[in-house]
Amino acid sequence: MHHRNWRLLGAAAAFVALSTAAVACGSDGNNSASSSSTTKAETTGGGSGQGDTIEVPKDHKTIQEAVDAAKEGDLILVSEGTYEEAVDVTTPYITIRGLDRNKVILDGGFELENGIRVLDTDGVVVENMTAKNYVSNGFFWTGSDYYKGSYLTAYRNGDYGIYAFDAYHGQFDHSLGSGSPDAGFYIGECYECDAVIDTVVSEHNGLGYSGTNSGGELYIINSTFRYNRAGVVPNSGSYELCYPGRSNTIVGNTVYDNNNDEAPAIDVALLAQGNGILLAGSINNQIERNLVYDHDRTGIAAVPFPEEDASDVVPPASELETPCEETRDDELPDESEIPDLVLWNATGNSIIGNDVSSSGLADLASGTIALDDKSATTADLDNCFSDNTFTSSAPADIEGLAPCEGDGNGGDFEKDGLDLLVLINEQAPAPPKDTYKSTPEPEDQENMPDAATAPAPRYEGPEKPDVDAIKVPAKPSN
Amino acid sequence: MLAAVGVALAIGGGSDDTTSSKEPGPWTERAIKPAGPELPATPERWIGPQGRTGQFVVGCDYSHSGPNDPIVHFGMQGMSHQHDFYGATTTDETSSPDDLVEGDTTCDKKVDTAAYWQPALYDHDEVVEPLDLHAYYRAAPGVDPQDVEPFPFGIALIAGDQTATEPQAGEATGWTCGSRTHLSDDPPTCPASAPLHLVLTFQDCWDGEYLDSEDHQSHATYSKDGECPATHPVHIPQLTASIRFPIWGEGHDLKLASGNIYSAHGDFLNAWDPDGLQREIDGCIKRGVVCDLASNREEEDLFASGPLPTKEEAEAADAANAAGN
Repeated sequence: MHHRNWRLLGAAAAFVALSTAAVACGSDGNNSASSSSTTKAETTGGGSGQGDTIEVPKDHKTIQEAVDAAKEGDLILVSEGTYEEAVDVTTPYITIRGLDRNKVILDGGFELENGIRVLDTDGVVVENMTAKNYVSNGFFWTGSDYYKGSYLTAYRNGDYGIYAFDAYHGQFDHSLGSGSPDAGFYIGECYECDAVIDTVVSEHNGLGYSGTNSGGELYIINSTFRYNRAGVVPNSGSYELCYPGRSNTIVGNTVYDNNNDEAPAIDVALLAQGNGILLAGSINNQIERNLVYDHDRTGIAAVPFPEEDASDVVPPASELETPCEETRDDELPDESEIPDLVLWNATGNSIIGNDVSSSGLADLASGTIALDDKSATTADLDNCFSDNTFTSSAPADIEGLAPCEGDGNGGDFEKDGLDLLVLINEQAPAPPKDTYKSTPEPEDQENMPDAATAPAPRYEGPEKPDVDAIKVPAKPSN
Repeated sequence: MLAAVGVALAIGGGSDDTTSSKEPGPWTERAIKPAGPELPATPERWIGPQGRTGQFVVGCDYSHSGPNDPIVHFGMQGMSHQHDFYGATTTDETSSPDDLVEGDTTCDKKVDTAAYWQPALYDHDEVVEPLDLHAYYRAAPGVDPQDVEPFPFGIALIAGDQTATEPQAGEATGWTCGSRTHLSDDPPTCPASAPLHLVLTFQDCWDGEYLDSEDHQSHATYSKDGECPATHPVHIPQLTASIRFPIWGEGHDLKLASGNIYSAHGDFLNAWDPDGLQREIDGCIKRGVVCDLASNREEEDLFASGPLPTKEEAEAADAANAAGN
């Protein structure tokens, strides 16, 4: 209760602070002088008749120069070529588009940090190009709303492939994230995020998808997560704001063979290895109609994230609807009130109608760690399982114990449960440093239709997907 | 404020020609400020989860060690206590920022060719090789990010007091576990997943004139309530360096090359690529966004010391501790 009072006080202060911040937050970062004149090509077919089309390298030799010369509504069309640039974007509501996804290549040479980094700038759409060999990220939106990444390829990047942080109203679609030690795709620190990941492929990463402390109208659908160390891993922790991760909708994905011990890895990827969909301290998620198979440990599991250097304790349920921004300036509890180990239990998750098979330990699992007599037990987690196709579970008979409709059968939640302490201790060994630099080169990827002529309308945020229409995917033929 | 920087560089370069103020002379000929009155060593620090303000973070592997110090004992090989260096790969007693910026770095941001160092840590008289350093660059709490200027090229900053034999006032230095932000004077007992860290917070107010001072302190100080004092009016980023050591569990006997554990301190010699530093300050600090997180944790064995204790083991350990007391 004490903690809750602190947080409520903080929320009031945050509201005042944010009102001020919004005024101070102008888009005045566009101060780079361009070396070439701002020649405007004719609008090529589209642009909704709004902005101009700027061609690279015809009008500006570099993407950075074109971005700095652009104004709201413009379309930047990038021709085939290798661009050894780290592009910072501070021009709002522009589209940066490659003419050929596989031949417009941003190359960081393992020296530059981010292929494209969008900084506190709304409405930036990036399409149809590749970013590789960056020491940090391929494509990165931070503090930037109305973001969209389509037909992107990101591989061999040192943190994330395609990455949104503290960003709202966005989408990633028809894209590939490969060969990063953290996640191929990541959406973190937002609530409610209002974001969609649709029709992407994530492979050869530490984590296929990761999102720390994110959720709320966050949809991960119709996508493939394979050959990562772990597949889809929404997670929680107080080392970043907006804990816990919550209310993700993960539907209709194909998740298989995420046991890849040759993939690069941050340490949590080692811990998560061999699991398909792992809810690591993330709560109130909806996991439905996914096809999940061939995992060394579990297909779909709800497990705790143990945090031994926590900054805060788990907030009460009454605060879960609080928007992320309102927690930014929360007062923190006194250090003495934070236990040595804060356990972020995965609770309130609904796992329904998935097809899960060929898991080493259990197709479906729910578990926790008993720290003391007051700890939640597996029976307390309130995760539910119904209508799944599966052959093994931990605890045994998980759909009988914890159905999503009606009461459980009153059986024993400890029977054949996961021994998480053993699993934590038996994590995979770390790979050599810089493993990401030699991950597989992807094959050529599908181009966006009519890249040269398609319009570039102002992006107003994702359409809400029709989740109910999504069916369990068919197994890929290979 | 930029004008003040230009003047300072002119003075620092020993040049009378104000038209050449952008081209300072050699760093080794810079003017050193006479020692002044003792300044407060008490930063106001960011605590709690990351992301409460705009920041960029540089991760730098441990580079090398040596009994050298280009700030305190320039040109005097072997004069210093043993130091561990990060960032620039060639730092020694003769290093100038002009040399360092041309060289390699252990940092993930290759534009960070600055030098960071701290006195070597010993456990039972055995040297402890550190793992890495994370450098957080932010506006100090309460400071308007728009007021933050880049560090002048070549500024030397020291956080903490190497002569201290008792706990230092304030929190310029302190010890913690993992990414916790609460500090203690004595190294705490840490779990393997969150090992021992030394946290150093450097001055964020500069006098606008000198790159160093005789006492290595008088040219810079800490802000209070978001304000820099009139004597040190230039806001520079608040640099917090967090150094990770492979130390966890019980049974350690720790001291530093500079003396006992309370002599904790650390040094920063700015040799960032100036354009790269400007870009990060403009893009991240001034725009108020998180450009990097140190919680993108490194490749390491989490829980390397073994599993979390069972309830019975924890109770047995508690009982043993109680008996020992």
